[in-house]
Amino acid sequence: MSTRGLVLVSLFAAVIVALGLLPPITLGFIPVPITAQTLGVMLAGLVLGAKRGVLSVALVLLLVIVGLPVLSGGRGGLAVFAGPTVGYLVGWLPAVFVTGLIAERIVRGRQGAITQTGCFFAAAVLGCILVLYALGTLGVMLVTGLPLIKALSGALAFIPGDLVKAGVAATVARAVQAGYPLLPIRGR
Amino acid sequence: MRTLYAEGTGPFYRLPVRAKLLLLATLGVALFLTRSPFVLAAGPILGALVYFTLGLPFGLAARRLRPVFLTIIIVAAFSFLVSEAEEAVLQLLRLTTLMLFAATVTATTTISAFIDEITRLCRPLDRLGLMRADDIGLAFGLVVRFVPEIMTRYEAIRDAHRARGLKIRPITMIMPLILLTLRETDQIAAAIDARGLRGHSITTK
Repeated sequence: MSTRGLVLVSLFAAVIVALGLLPPITLGFIPVPITAQTLGVMLAGLVLGAKRGVLSVALVLLLVIVGLPVLSGGRGGLAVFAGPTVGYLVGWLPAVFVTGLIAERIVRGRQGAITQTGCFFAAAVLGCILVLYALGTLGVMLVTGLPLIKALSGALAFIPGDLVKAGVAATVARAVQAGYPLLPIRGR
Repeated sequence: MRTLYAEGTGPFYRLPVRAKLLLLATLGVALFLTRSPFVLAAGPILGALVYFTLGLPFGLAARRLRPVFLTIIIVAAFSFLVSEAEEAVLQLLRLTTLMLFAATVTATTTISAFIDEITRLCRPLDRLGLMRADDIGLAFGLVVRFVPEIMTRYEAIRDAHRARGLKIRPITMIMPLILLTLRETDQIAAAIDARGLRGHSITTK
């Protein structure tokens, strides 16, 4: 890995940590205050692509494992992995990978602003919402023995907030793509 | 950055990292294979005994567990009401036990001990040429170094917005934050290579 690549991965991990330190935002129409941290995870995939996005998120998880309180709310350490929501945490890795993979393939330099934002939005939703919630729900089912529908129902309250986050992530990703493109675009 | 390690002495402090992690993993598997409520009930009791006698003040030790324990309790309560009551209780006992012992490992293991162990575990990949194990420690150091700087940058952006009378919205704050941070990449990479922190055969690009 080039030094530049290493620095990119590390800086983005620092961004994800920093976003977790910001206070949660309460949007009027959503009952649960949303934290910016998963926004950072979405951006890791959208801005850095699949491989570096995964490395960045893995680095954040490493910080958690090692005993730093870098998850939103000052959470950290191995105890965090002992809860029923562990799937939502470990699931960040495949989620980022899918987001990055889709972004790499459908985003094009020549797209109009709205199209490109739409592509980023789709990548964020498919990876960091669909895949993440699937794995998170699977985690809940494995750890608690709850059946699928019941395991899923607890998570539904968070989906509107995450859709808003995906929208924000898509907008920011497009701006970053215009200002400092890093996404490895593949295919024609 | 504040760490979750707590200074102290005792058997858990002396165990090597690898041993602690293996014990924790074995405990996890054992907990999920056990179905006896009596055996499982001993878990949280033992865990609490171990964790709360480590030397951390009780309030602090308990506060650290609060977020995780809260999710454990809430999901267990949900499970109890909506699904099988007995399984919910067993899950509560299992997760609480695991949480307490995991928190014990975290509190008794220094960050550098962890990083050294993980670097050691990655040495085989190093020899295969897939990655450089020492990059892990370097990457870790970079993150810790730059988080405060990013926070300061965020505050500067926020104050600048306020001074201009602009509303503070996530999009308008995060965009410049990320762009400004990413723009430092080449500078930082050049500094790392200038100091030879990754050995002499690496190029900046």
